[in-house]
Amino acid sequence: MRPLTPRRILGICGLLMGVLFVAVVLALRMGAYPIGVTDIVKTLFHGAIGRWDEIPSEYRLVVFGLRLPRIALGILVGASLSVAGAGFQALLRNPLADPYVLGVSSGAALGAIISLAVVPHVPGAIQAAAFAGAALTITAVYLLGRRGGQLDSATLLLAGIVTASFLSAVIMFLMTTLTGRDLRGMAFWLMGDLASPPPTTNVLGWFGFLFFVFVVAAGAIYTTSSDLNLILTGEQEARHLGVNVNRVKLVVYVGASILTGLAVSVSGAIGYVGLLVPHVMRMLFGTDYRLLIPASVIGGAIAIVVADTLARTVVAPTELPVGAMTALAGAPVFIYLMRRRVR
Amino acid sequence: MRAAGSGAILANPAGMPGERRAVRLKVEQASYAYAATDRSAPKFTLGPASFGAEQREIVTILGPNASGKSTMLRLLAGLIKPLSGRIEVDGTEVCELELRTRAQRIALVQQESELLFPLRVWEYVLQGRYPYGRRLRFESEEDCLLAGNALAQVGADALRDRWMDHLSGGEKQRVILARALAQQPSLLLLDEPTQHLDIGGKVELLRRLRKLADGNRYTVIVVTHELNLAAEFSDRIVLLHKGKCLRVGTAAEVYEQGLLEEVFEAPLDVEMRTSGRPRVILREGN
Amino acid sequence: MRIGRNAWIGAAGTLAIVLMAAHGAAARVQSSEKDLARAGAETNAKAAATRTVTDESGRRVTVPVNVQRIVSLAPNLTETVYALGLEDKLVGDTDFCDVPAAAKQKAHIGGPQNPSLEAIVALRPDLVLAAAIDRWETVNALTRLGIPVYTSDPHTVNDLLESVQKMAEVMGAEQRGAALAADLRSRLEKLQAKLADRPMEHVLFVVWEDPLITIGQKTFIADALRYAGAESAVLSDQDWPQLSFEEVVRLQPDYIVLAPDPEITSAAALADLRSRGGWRDLRAVELGHVAVMSDEVNKPSPGLVDAIEELAQELHPDAFARAAKESTMAQGSRRAEANERECATCAH
Repeated sequence: MRPLTPRRILGICGLLMGVLFVAVVLALRMGAYPIGVTDIVKTLFHGAIGRWDEIPSEYRLVVFGLRLPRIALGILVGASLSVAGAGFQALLRNPLADPYVLGVSSGAALGAIISLAVVPHVPGAIQAAAFAGAALTITAVYLLGRRGGQLDSATLLLAGIVTASFLSAVIMFLMTTLTGRDLRGMAFWLMGDLASPPPTTNVLGWFGFLFFVFVVAAGAIYTTSSDLNLILTGEQEARHLGVNVNRVKLVVYVGASILTGLAVSVSGAIGYVGLLVPHVMRMLFGTDYRLLIPASVIGGAIAIVVADTLARTVVAPTELPVGAMTALAGAPVFIYLMRRRVR
Repeated sequence: MRAAGSGAILANPAGMPGERRAVRLKVEQASYAYAATDRSAPKFTLGPASFGAEQREIVTILGPNASGKSTMLRLLAGLIKPLSGRIEVDGTEVCELELRTRAQRIALVQQESELLFPLRVWEYVLQGRYPYGRRLRFESEEDCLLAGNALAQVGADALRDRWMDHLSGGEKQRVILARALAQQPSLLLLDEPTQHLDIGGKVELLRRLRKLADGNRYTVIVVTHELNLAAEFSDRIVLLHKGKCLRVGTAAEVYEQGLLEEVFEAPLDVEMRTSGRPRVILREGN
Repeated sequence: MRIGRNAWIGAAGTLAIVLMAAHGAAARVQSSEKDLARAGAETNAKAAATRTVTDESGRRVTVPVNVQRIVSLAPNLTETVYALGLEDKLVGDTDFCDVPAAAKQKAHIGGPQNPSLEAIVALRPDLVLAAAIDRWETVNALTRLGIPVYTSDPHTVNDLLESVQKMAEVMGAEQRGAALAADLRSRLEKLQAKLADRPMEHVLFVVWEDPLITIGQKTFIADALRYAGAESAVLSDQDWPQLSFEEVVRLQPDYIVLAPDPEITSAAALADLRSRGGWRDLRAVELGHVAVMSDEVNKPSPGLVDAIEELAQELHPDAFARAAKESTMAQGSRRAEANERECATCAH
């Protein structure tokens, strides 16, 4: 009997962080502008110790101005989607659940389209409108997904699917009837795309805000991880063991929806990450949510950083949207891992 | 089977003769009713019922289908509040207990367990320790010890490292029971536990419950419609019929032919055996 | 084992360190960009003075007086650069820039909708030309990095002529720009004169066959067609209205105009439509009134005028045939008119 200990969690997270670190260094290395690994390390080192004048201005621009923000965004988005996916899989008692099944991404996309049509060139408008769309969808699905005043998994799933379909239909309608020419950019946004640079010049504030929202939402979900372990063996059983099932469901619903809204607002609907990363982490490390959630955070970050690096370099200089890469790579990886599983 | 290597925690020597047994469960005039909607007339009324259960007793709530057994069980578990009367466990009213405290006193054993993701037996049983300690917690050595004890108490020690979905029906039920025991409850509630078992399994389960009650001082409440098993293993029987509590007493007291025939709507004969426990058989010639 | 207090302190400490590092890094990113913008401005100041212009989207852009390295983010803008004879200053263009063919040899930075920021930066441009209808985030990003971006946004043919002139001015080739614009303008005016008394042909411009998509009245293409003496038969304010075939049958346009890529001959297009049920029953197809335009019509560039002229010739052949003879017959007809006048008066 080897129960889960914080030490084991930290150990596995340390291991995953190592993998993430390697992925980040490789991501920093790849790109249209040629910089060698040693130069990158030197640039990072000089940057870390404050010797900015020793870095060639273009290296500084490419590493700190272009690649690092994109990687940081990718880490945040990957982490958010993976935790949201793990949360929804528990909440909806469905291994096929992904963060978009409850319609949050469609609501965000609708917000983005409306913002593109109405205020096309205002920086930050898309993100704000997308998040507003996501928030409204979260509220609507919550109200529809209740049964007897409490969230019910089956009702919630139905409400989410119906809402998602409806919103997608509205989006299709708008895309064909609106005369705004800028809607061409929506195709890339819908597929999931990390190329959008931060919408403000205050990069610190932007990432700080995103990070803060992530920590609050993911942290809230983490506090219910013991409860989720029990709920996964049956809702009634969990109640009998003393779990406040209704409260847990509400916390997970709101937390996972906020994480999804956050990710989709800044990078469009990147698919497969929220679905597959939790499953892969389960196969590797077990189904205990006290470990699964932190593992998914880092695993999701790794997945997106790798996918984005591939998307940027596979058919250079054209950039594929990262969502295309996750779709292409996700399925085979999953099949491979599924077949390798020996029990 | 004794608790293995348990040290001081659950070692239970047999009770001293003449020891007064603590009253664990007290049901006083509890009643309940539910209707299709808030405003329509009650579709079903339960009670009022009064009975009690002491330490080391197995009390059976007996009755045919739709007699209100499950509702009674939910009242005992504190999942619903009685409309009138009181239900007390260890002196405190059940529905007023906080969720986790209640889980420390009462363990409800479900019939089936539908797991979404694969889980090992020991992980499953360890979950029974949830009501103790903080909400986000990591299991201590004590928890592991208690879980191990619980597995030993049901004779499932060898199943420790197996996967839950690789177990047979009987094995799974033992493990589910072990998780309930890991809660260290005063009261053990079982809802139709013999339903999916063959006769051998049924007897084995009830023997185990008997041992748990006698040896480890649990109070066991079993909801069932199995007349003979109830007669064989219960200390007390509560007979329900269409929501009414008809009789409370030992099997010999409760098993009256006319009464049973009316309740179960079948031609039944009641035989008294030498052990003092009755046996019910289907009358021939119909 | 509960998570000990020490572990929490350790985690908090790690978090604090990570946050401080991130803060430091992010602050330096900010300052690095400001530095870069300043450095960029300084180099420009050292090399040559800069000036501020207003581009076609109303943005105020600071461009160097002496532009040396241009990157184009749209095929029509690349074409304009070549038309102005500035191709030596063009250091990068998109994957789709293929007019003229020499543009394919330039370094590529991706597509108009998904260019690679890094590739653009790697070319060290001092001016980037972008089309306003393409990805606006690239424009914002480049601006934030201190690279001047001029966006072009012509909605009509006239806008195009002014845009060519304006862009030339920004790139330091004012005279060539004015000359090119004047030349294009005069060609269009001559065309208009030739077609002055001809009725407009009602055409269906087919953007896509299945689903059938055509152009709206307010589009650039519709304006270009008007110069060629053609009016889109579809009255719609949408940019790209999708029609049912029934609507086409109802409209019975005089001509079907296509701008396929790669280009095929009108005869081939006609043969293709004749082989399709539905299409072959249209009056225009029966009469052989199918015209193919170069796909220059799809983009606002100097080559557009060629495309307009070609279409005009196809739609109004007799206007051109007549014009060819007119110069020789002009004298003859004037004499004939004069005679007629005399006869008219002497008829009575």
